[in-house]
Amino acid sequence: MNPVTGIILFPTIGAMILLLIPQRREDWIRRVSAAATLIPLGLALWMVFHFPRGVAGYHWVQRIAWLPALGIQYQVGVDGISVVLLLLHTLCGFTGVLVSYRIKERVKEYYVFYLLLIGGVAGVFASLDLFFFYLFYEMAVIPMFPLIGIWGSGEKAYATMKLTLYLTAGAVLALIGLLSLYAISGAHTFDLIFLEHFLRQNPIPGDMQRFLFPFLLVGFGVIAPIWPLHSWSPLGHAAAPSAVSMLHAGVLMKLGSYAILRIAVQLLPEGAYTWMPWVAGIAIMNIVYGGFVAMAQKDIKFVIGYSSSSHMGYVLLGIACLNPIGMNGAVLLMFAHGLMTAMAFAAVGHIYDQTHTRVISEWGGLARQVPFIATAFVMAALASAGLPGFANFISELLVFFASWNSYRWSALAAVFGIVITAFYMLRAVRTGFFGPLNPRWAHLQDATVFERVPYLILLAGLLIVGCWPKFLLEIISTSTPSVLSHLNPLQVVAKL
Amino acid sequence: MTGMIHALLPELWLGLLFGVLLLLDLKWGETRSSTLSMIAAAGLLPVFPILVWQSGLPFRDLIGGMYRLDALALFFKGIFAAAALLVILMTRELERDIPRGHGEFTLLILTAAFGMFLAASSANFVMLFVSLELMAISFYVLTAYLQTNAGSLEAGMKYLILGSLASGLLLYGIAFIYGSTGSMQFSKIQEIMSHGQAMPVPLRFGLLLVIAGILFKVAAVPFQFWVPDVYQGAPTPVTAFLSVGSKSAGFLVAFRVVQELFILQAKQWTPLIVWVAGLTILYGNLAAIPQRNIKRLLGYSSIGHAGYILIGIATASRLGSSAVNFYLASYLFTNLAVFLVIAAFSRQTGSDEIRSYAGLSRRSPFLAAMMFVALLSLAGVPPLAGFFGKFLLLMGAVTEGYLALAIIGAAAVVVSLYYYLQIVYTMYADKPEDPSPIAVSLPVRLALWVCLAAMLGMGIWQGPLLQLSLAAISGS
Repeated sequence: MNPVTGIILFPTIGAMILLLIPQRREDWIRRVSAAATLIPLGLALWMVFHFPRGVAGYHWVQRIAWLPALGIQYQVGVDGISVVLLLLHTLCGFTGVLVSYRIKERVKEYYVFYLLLIGGVAGVFASLDLFFFYLFYEMAVIPMFPLIGIWGSGEKAYATMKLTLYLTAGAVLALIGLLSLYAISGAHTFDLIFLEHFLRQNPIPGDMQRFLFPFLLVGFGVIAPIWPLHSWSPLGHAAAPSAVSMLHAGVLMKLGSYAILRIAVQLLPEGAYTWMPWVAGIAIMNIVYGGFVAMAQKDIKFVIGYSSSSHMGYVLLGIACLNPIGMNGAVLLMFAHGLMTAMAFAAVGHIYDQTHTRVISEWGGLARQVPFIATAFVMAALASAGLPGFANFISELLVFFASWNSYRWSALAAVFGIVITAFYMLRAVRTGFFGPLNPRWAHLQDATVFERVPYLILLAGLLIVGCWPKFLLEIISTSTPSVLSHLNPLQVVAKL
Repeated sequence: MTGMIHALLPELWLGLLFGVLLLLDLKWGETRSSTLSMIAAAGLLPVFPILVWQSGLPFRDLIGGMYRLDALALFFKGIFAAAALLVILMTRELERDIPRGHGEFTLLILTAAFGMFLAASSANFVMLFVSLELMAISFYVLTAYLQTNAGSLEAGMKYLILGSLASGLLLYGIAFIYGSTGSMQFSKIQEIMSHGQAMPVPLRFGLLLVIAGILFKVAAVPFQFWVPDVYQGAPTPVTAFLSVGSKSAGFLVAFRVVQELFILQAKQWTPLIVWVAGLTILYGNLAAIPQRNIKRLLGYSSIGHAGYILIGIATASRLGSSAVNFYLASYLFTNLAVFLVIAAFSRQTGSDEIRSYAGLSRRSPFLAAMMFVALLSLAGVPPLAGFFGKFLLLMGAVTEGYLALAIIGAAAVVVSLYYYLQIVYTMYADKPEDPSPIAVSLPVRLALWVCLAAMLGMGIWQGPLLQLSLAAISGS
């Protein structure tokens, strides 16, 4: 079987198998779910290790004619960008299943929705056909509704509805953009590989590109999430159960920036060139505004939530530079931030399940009581603040380098954003985990050996890539130039 | 003669079935009504192989140009037969509400279906009008069937009065078309209009009135006022049949009249239909938001869906027309799944209030899951049938350059998701007031599995139905 199809199919088949297992056999439900996410992780790792470095284009492509009358085909495959994001996704998906062992209520339904979500997200990263891209994109959005609505906490009714409606609104806006692209290109196909070649020969008129670009930018940007359409995101993080927060902040948000670079930038280069200064401005709003709002939060999940939307600003800034360095940085940052934020949400979830409060000032001194979890959170906080040795450092550095050339003021503001991040993360660490132990929490249990596994996996990912960034950067930089190759060479030079 | 019998076989079979059931009903009285409805359901099954077989026959007009055998007619007959079958499976949930006359209830569903079948094959305005009236009159009686229920009687009366008005408009329009062209025959009118000349004023007026009649049948703005009350008051199977059968018949007539007879002049009418489509989508979806009764909500949502389908009529392209066919077929199974759940639920609880669906996922995980899937399909979420229908319609609108209409349609998807997901949230996250489990009868269970298979099948493997939808357009 094609490994890319396998990554999409195994979680989906897993969900079908779960439907056949009786509700009371929770052990089997958990085993099947673990297997359905572990196999894709294995496949993703295998592809990363066997990736033909330096060979541009798509690999492991599988194509099945689907609706030839409309130019629709099931076509999947990976390039250097999507293979890294698939690795991130499968890592978060598998560790999410492990973290979900604490879910005790309606276990079967939970894992069914969770696995459908995993399959949908994998499909988006793997699709090389715009129809299937959109299909998987919406399939990834909808399971969030029951996952947050049933197993969430706090303001979950409001949060889950707001999240679903925002993401769907973005999706349909993007759909209009995709359909217009289909109609205007004249190629009568949704085949992304073909469209790339076709549009290089027959570019869409500049005015049309400038008209279409905002549809895709804003449509996919909602999930990225771009300021000022980000307000659903921290709310959703806060209400979601831990594993869903992990996946949501770790992977789902990356769908937006991935779609922007894969479709909007690659297929509408002139549109991108015109609109990119705006994107850089939005990115700075994300970084600075998100950072300041995160400073003002009392609930730890809201802190990480706003911090996520702040960090996605760096990703957008990297894309906005429209040069390979910035693009490499953006993709690597998606990977690093995904692992970092998944770890942070897992740790917070572990504590919240026992304390039932996420207000940081009510915690206090938890490092004495739950040293392992505290260490994991501190590591995540340091990674988030961009400490060298973590993957976040090198990727943010690349984004700064790239943006210094393109948008000097933005680069300065972005560096200032790092200071803000360090401030609120370290403050959260100090208030929540150090100082005298709040006697209310003397009963807290630290992670068991089994429960430590997901943290170790995520931390290993962060440190390995942090110390040996070439491992992934070599793969990513294989494909970034071709994303930008549609741009007029003069424009790229001007940007550099 | 044999050719005629071959062409008329579905109608002859339905007539035979009707006669047999009528005699059995007389013989058995009220005692064995459920057996009777099962015979009716089983009797509808042979219609499908007959229709498949007929698709191999030469397509032509018969009986002095009254009756037309073509791919479009066969496609819609398939829709009508499937709708009637699933609705009959639903009627058994009503047994306790209907004091007497169970057998006639089933028979009236068959006469309505018979009217739809004839309408699908009409090649003459007189024939078309008579068959639509046969359908409408059956529905008037069916709507008011719960004789002890004031809501049902009110609904029946309202539908009768407004429906008669619409029939009058249609007939008046037909008279003008006859006056201008000198013929009732579709083929003759088509020939006259095929030169593409401008339409004289009386002809335009006539066509306008016919379009008004169609808009009433499909429940589009500004002829949608009857929908909420009738949908809420009518017995659930009747509401279900109205929403899929009567609506499909309306679109069928739209195809026959607007697209086949006046295709060259159709572009003049496009702005009108575009406006109607946009307003219908907005009205239906926005007015559905505050509803508390699930049948009323579905009434408004069915107005919204009519608006979506009108997008396909407005584009007047091959893609748009096949999208209409695809959408109607997917809407049939999706909407009937929702109504099957409603019928099963209200049989036990006696309530159609959305509030009373709280905790349905604990009381009957099966019904809740089916409702969830069906509502998502209605909202247009992949990989379900409703998604691909909407995708085709929006694609048709965008490729024909109706970007604003496509954006309205896309925005309404978000609105509709809001009110559908409210129901889902109530079913899954709220606590039930009465946690007693809900029993689901075998016919409903069976029908729901069929609907689920259809929703997933059409949503994932869209090819076969798309081929059929395209063939129904080009084969005529």
